[in-house]
Amino acid sequence: MKKKFFANIFSLFLLAPFLLSFVGCANESSSDNILRVYNWEDYICNEDSEEDGYVDLIAKFENEYKQKTGKNVTVEYSTFGTNENMYNELKIGGAEYDLVCPSDYMIMKMISEDMVEPFTDEFIQNSNYAEYASPYIKDLFELNGWTKYAVAYMWGTMGYVYNPNIVDKEDLQSWGGIWNKKYSNLTTIKDSVRDSYFLGVAYEYMEELKALAEQYNVTSLDDENYSKYNALVTEIMNRTDEETLEAVKNDLIDLKQYLYGFEVDSGKQDMITGKIAINFAWSGDAVFAMDEAEPIYDEDTGKLIEKGVYLNYIVPEECSNIWFDGWVMPKGANVELAQEFIDFLSSPENAMTNMNYIGYTSAIAGDAVFEGMSSEDWYSEGEEGDLDENGNPLVPYNLNYFFNGTSDGKYKDGEYFIWVSQESRDRQIAAQYPSEEIIARSAIMQHFDDNTNAAVNEMWEEVKGLPIPIWAYIVIAVIAGGILLIVLTYIYKGRHSEPKPKKGYKILKKGA
Amino acid sequence: MMKLHLSRKQLCIPYALFLALFVVIPMLLILFYAFTETVDGKISFTFMNFVNFFTSTAKLSTLLMSFTIAIISTAICLLIGYPVAYILARSHFRKKNVLLMLFILPMWINFVLRITALRELLDLIGLLGTQNYLNTIIGMVYDFLPFMILPLYTTLEKLDNSYLEAASDLGGNKFTVFTKVTFPLSMPGVISGITMVFMPSMTNYVVSDTLGNFNITILGKLINEYFTTYDNWHMGSMISIILLVIIFLTMLATGGFKDSKNDARGANLW
Repeated sequence: MKKKFFANIFSLFLLAPFLLSFVGCANESSSDNILRVYNWEDYICNEDSEEDGYVDLIAKFENEYKQKTGKNVTVEYSTFGTNENMYNELKIGGAEYDLVCPSDYMIMKMISEDMVEPFTDEFIQNSNYAEYASPYIKDLFELNGWTKYAVAYMWGTMGYVYNPNIVDKEDLQSWGGIWNKKYSNLTTIKDSVRDSYFLGVAYEYMEELKALAEQYNVTSLDDENYSKYNALVTEIMNRTDEETLEAVKNDLIDLKQYLYGFEVDSGKQDMITGKIAINFAWSGDAVFAMDEAEPIYDEDTGKLIEKGVYLNYIVPEECSNIWFDGWVMPKGANVELAQEFIDFLSSPENAMTNMNYIGYTSAIAGDAVFEGMSSEDWYSEGEEGDLDENGNPLVPYNLNYFFNGTSDGKYKDGEYFIWVSQESRDRQIAAQYPSEEIIARSAIMQHFDDNTNAAVNEMWEEVKGLPIPIWAYIVIAVIAGGILLIVLTYIYKGRHSEPKPKKGYKILKKGA
Repeated sequence: MMKLHLSRKQLCIPYALFLALFVVIPMLLILFYAFTETVDGKISFTFMNFVNFFTSTAKLSTLLMSFTIAIISTAICLLIGYPVAYILARSHFRKKNVLLMLFILPMWINFVLRITALRELLDLIGLLGTQNYLNTIIGMVYDFLPFMILPLYTTLEKLDNSYLEAASDLGGNKFTVFTKVTFPLSMPGVISGITMVFMPSMTNYVVSDTLGNFNITILGKLINEYFTTYDNWHMGSMISIILLVIIFLTMLATGGFKDSKNDARGANLW
């Protein structure tokens, strides 16, 4: 008896590898001084490199925290691939995090479902974020009522990256520019419901949006009509009624014939290699594509090292979608430590390090960021009155709307200008910091409730699945016909093929 | 010192646990999700997922397209694979193992890598972006051809030569011998090959996404979308169940479940 018992136990040892892996998971103890951060892949500078100016921000935080409080802190940093994966993980409750970084609509969803901890008043009024975050971003959050629950991390617009050698800029002044035989097989759009839905809506209500823009003619955030105009644009961008869904579906199906395809992450690369000439992109990806595609010259001799092309970025005239990713603290988070980490990330120096590494646009303004952006390494090409390579005077790029009120004294409000050449105005800087004019016509796409979401997804499925090519029907018909034929011959044979036994003979029973 | 004697039953315990943990429980979970829905955070029993699948244009057309792509890919694989397997198996070529290995060799290279390479090749020819369906079918055939050749080769190689000689002796010409003897006897291999190619062709969306530039949705892709982006595990599970039933029916129709010790000659992998 005992022997049998031991044998049973022994056989369980064969499962040891599995069991050990479970134990490995369960072993993580929860302590006050562990900060569990859940972020997008490649979305924080966690690499040291003096040459590139990278600093491992996670290690730096741990050190600074130790110096400040004398306590140790460990950051457990993990990454996710999609908002929905992150959301499900939180919903199921298997993993707990102190700080997560979802996109705009997911933040709205999480706030509406009461899944997040509010920030303390102390943090909202008195932190690096309160001091250095761009006034534009803070106003946007205030207007939408998110200030209490979320802080912005990176943000940007949506637009077209295009190759000016192939594409006429005038065509892309409108979102409808890619519904065009001229660019057939040269365009990719995102394989993503929300982004493509926005594109479809912008195309469907093109005329209405243009009429609005003409009527109000708002080019500045201080314009008295700004909030009225922007509210109207927001309303149009967030239409999800049945007619809109049907119209957008047809528009997008119609668009498919002109597309090279949809893409998830290959758009940047395809732009660089020249497979395509137009890419519907997030501004952050656009910066990356433009950087990578540029020709490289030797710094000393000015000789061409690698051939390339200068790509441009454009936000069409109708409207654009402002997107952002932000930090929220899921219920049960260590609020104090999480706020400490955001405070650390929100210092302009660290924000600049992050921008340097990720390439997206930080929501943080402040001296260090403007100093970086207006350096020769980034965008500045000279000062007022200087000439560019072609002998044309440099033009000012106005960033006052973003930086005003965030300086520690180095810069004055109203003097945030970067002097660039005419050509550069259409390049990286246009994606990194959209001009005030573009911002005025940009709005946020709200999150859809469950029913709307299901309807929009259904619409997207049809866009992706239809139309069925005619040959597919033919193939199906042929196969169905073939099967029918086989079945019929089988039945026919079954009736006639077995000859009746002649008189006097018996059939032996089967199995007898 | 106690000696341990493991009985057969005891040796089975780990496998039973494994099966329960990684096969039975997940299957039950999928079933559970397929016939429930979540409304306002509450889970309730429903048949709506099933109804919705068969009333949705998008899903039905996806099903139809997956079916078409899978059938065409399988047919092409069979058309290419059978002669290859026949020649390899029946020839007296001394180095035929080397030839066989050349056909199987691609299977040892990561298939994502092969598909990415094929994408560049198709781009070079100019098919990429214009002929999405053709590209997908080329990719499927390229990917699954070895799975068709291998079982066919095994059956044909083990074919008893005396049957063929007898058929010839009885006056059958080469064609008759093939249609009346060789082909019927190789049916287990054919069926095995078809199931090996047909099933993954319906779901392998890496091929359709990479070579069709995300223009084509097949069932596998749809399931993935429901789990990752549409955030509706219930519908995703329902589609998985429907796919499972389709595969089950196909195997039933092709006789894959027949207990066929003698017929299969070890070539029938099912």
